[in-house]
Amino acid sequence: MLKMQSIRKSYRTDTIETHALRDFSLAVDEGEFVSVTGPSGSGKTTFLNIAGLLETPTSGQYLLDDEDVGNLNDRDRSRMRNEKIGFIFQGFNLIPDLSLFDNIDVPLRYRGLKGRERKKRIEKALEQVGLSARAKHLPAQLSGGQQQRVAIARALAGEPRFLLADEPTGNLDSLMARQVMELLEFINEWGTTIVMVTHDPDLARRAHRNIQIVDGQVADLQHGAASATAEIA
Amino acid sequence: MIGYYISLAMRSLRGTPILSALMVAAIAVGVGASMTTLTLNYMMSRNALADKDDVLFAVQLDNWDPHKAFHNPSEMPWQLTYKDAIDLLRSDIPSHQVAMHRWGGPIALEGSELRPYTVEARVTSRDFFALFDIPFIHGGTWPHAADNNSAYQIVLSQRTNEKLFGGENSVGRTVNFNGAPFTVVGVIEDWQPSPKVHDLNNGDFLESAEVFLPFGLHRALEIYPWGNTNGWKSEDINSYEDQLGSEYVWIQYWAQLDTPEQMERYRDYLTGFIRERKAQGRFPRPLKFGLSNPSEWLALNEVVDGDDRMLSWLSLAFLLVCLVNAVALLLAKFLRKAPEAGVRRALGASGRSIFSQHLVESGCIGFAGGLIGILMTLVGLALIRQLAMGHMDTVASMNWLMMLSAIGLAILSSLLAGLYPAWRISRTNPSIYLKTQ
Repeated sequence: MLKMQSIRKSYRTDTIETHALRDFSLAVDEGEFVSVTGPSGSGKTTFLNIAGLLETPTSGQYLLDDEDVGNLNDRDRSRMRNEKIGFIFQGFNLIPDLSLFDNIDVPLRYRGLKGRERKKRIEKALEQVGLSARAKHLPAQLSGGQQQRVAIARALAGEPRFLLADEPTGNLDSLMARQVMELLEFINEWGTTIVMVTHDPDLARRAHRNIQIVDGQVADLQHGAASATAEIA
Repeated sequence: MIGYYISLAMRSLRGTPILSALMVAAIAVGVGASMTTLTLNYMMSRNALADKDDVLFAVQLDNWDPHKAFHNPSEMPWQLTYKDAIDLLRSDIPSHQVAMHRWGGPIALEGSELRPYTVEARVTSRDFFALFDIPFIHGGTWPHAADNNSAYQIVLSQRTNEKLFGGENSVGRTVNFNGAPFTVVGVIEDWQPSPKVHDLNNGDFLESAEVFLPFGLHRALEIYPWGNTNGWKSEDINSYEDQLGSEYVWIQYWAQLDTPEQMERYRDYLTGFIRERKAQGRFPRPLKFGLSNPSEWLALNEVVDGDDRMLSWLSLAFLLVCLVNAVALLLAKFLRKAPEAGVRRALGASGRSIFSQHLVESGCIGFAGGLIGILMTLVGLALIRQLAMGHMDTVASMNWLMMLSAIGLAILSSLLAGLYPAWRISRTNPSIYLKTQ
C-alpha cells in the first residue's frame, strides 16, 4: 500500500537547515492499522504530510499503490489524495461556515460526483458516525467529539483506502477519545488502512503495530497482536 | 464546478459583510468614475451616419482670407457662402446633395388651445431626407422647385406632429410658423443623431430640428440663420440681397457620391468651380476643397477633444487606484481564509481549483461592484446633464452596450485585482494550516 524508501525532508532558511526526516524508510500493508509515536518535533507530522501527499520529500522514493508519487504533478497528486486518502486532524479542521452536510460534501465535489451520488454518500457517512439528525448544523453547534466524528464521516464519504489520522483524540476527553478510537477500529475492520499519529501510549497499543520516530528516523518497530505484516524496508 | 465556486463565493461574501462591502465599494467607485467619462466619450464619438461613411461627404471650399487660413485643422471654413451653395446645387453629379442651415421660430396651430412655442428649424434643400435616410411617417418632401422658389411648405418631426395634431396624419393641414402659414407636406420619424454629424457648427449635442423648411424661402422670409456665420473681409451689408451675395459663410453642404466615378467627376467639378470663381476675382487662396465622410468630419471637428481623452485616462488611473485597494483587501480576506484553503487542499483540491475558486469570488465582487458602478455612473451622468443645462442630454446617458461594458469592466478589473491574491493562496503550503487550525 505505502512504501517509503530513504526519504529525507529538510527545511531551509537563510541560515539554518532543519532535517525533519532522515533516511526514513517504511512500508505499510493494505488493511493495517499503524500507530506512530515519538516526541514532539521528531518528524511525525512531516511523515504524515508526505504520506498524505501534502508535502514532497527532499529526496527518496515514495510509492503509493505501487505508483511513484514523486513523478506526479500537483493535479495528479490532488486527484490521488482525493480518491485514495482520507485525513483526520487533531483540530478537526471542519470549515466553520459550512453545515455538516456541506463539510462532508467538500471532497466529493472535488471528485466530480453527481449530486445524487454525493447526497447518498453523505447521508451514509453521517449515519455511520451517528449524526444523521445534525446534517444542517454548523460545526460550532457540536461538541468536540461530535466534530471529530464529522471529520471521520468526511473522510469516510470519499471511501478512501488509506486513512491518515494526526492525533485524532488529542482534543477530546477520555470518553470521547474512546468512542473515536472504536470508530477507527471499526473502519479498519472494514478494510481501510489506517496510520495514526498519537501521543497516547494506550491508543498506540491498540494498533496492529507501532512505529516510533525519533529525530526523523524510525527508531523502533513493535508488532501488535493482530496481523503484523509490515516491515522496515 | 463553477456553480459550486459561485455558491462558496456568496457564502464567503456574506460571512465578511464589511470587508466585502468595502471591496465592492472600491470597485464600484472606480467603475462609476471611469464609466461616467468613458460613456461621455463613447456617446460623443458615436457616428450616427457610420453606415453611410462610404458615400456621404461634407463639402468645404477654401474661400477665405488670402493672408490667413481659417482657424481649424483643415484650414478651410466649415461652411459655404449662400451664393456658392446655390451654384453647387445645380450640379447633377451627386446622387443627392443638401444645402442647409439652422433656424427657428414660434410655431402655432390656428384655432388650437396650444400656445405658440419656439421650435428649432432647418432650412434645407429637399434632398435632406433622402441623403440622411430619414423615413417619413406621412407624406414626403417638397418638390424640387421649392429649393429655388418660395413655397410655404413644411415637414414636421414626429414629436411636433404629436404635439400639434395628436399624432394624426397632418399632411395638407396648415401650421403657422414665424407668423406665416405653412402647409404640412410630410411628417418624419424622430431623427436625433448625437452628435449632430450633419451640423457640427451649432452645438454638437443639441437636439435636431423639429420642423424643416424649403431652401427657396430665403428671399421671401429674409431668413437670417441661427448659429455661426463667419466672414473674413469687410463688406457693406445694407440689404438682404447683400447678405445673400456676401462672402459670409453660413451654409452647411453635404453631397452623396455613390461610386468612385462620381467622386472623381465631382472632384473635377469642384476644381473647375473654384477656378471659375478665381477668374472672377474670388477664392484668393490656393485652390483647395474638402470632401470629408462623416467619420472624418467628426474627427476634423474634434467633437471629442484632447481634454476629454485626458479625462478618460485620469478616470482609468483612478480605477487603477481603486483596484490597488481592492487587491489589498482581497489579499487580506483570502489569506484570512488560508486555513480553509489548506483543508480543501488536503481533501483533494488542486492548486488550480483553489485559484479558480478565489478568482470566481473576485469576479462575484466585481459583478456586484459593476451593478453599483452602473448606478454611480447614472448618477454621475445625471449630474453632468444638470450642470450642462440641456446641452449634454443626448450624450450624458447610458445605453445597454455601455451598461454591459460597465459590468465587463468591473468583472475584468476584479479578476485582475484577484489574480495575485488568488495565486498567493493557491500556492500556500496546506500543511502549515492543518496542524495549527
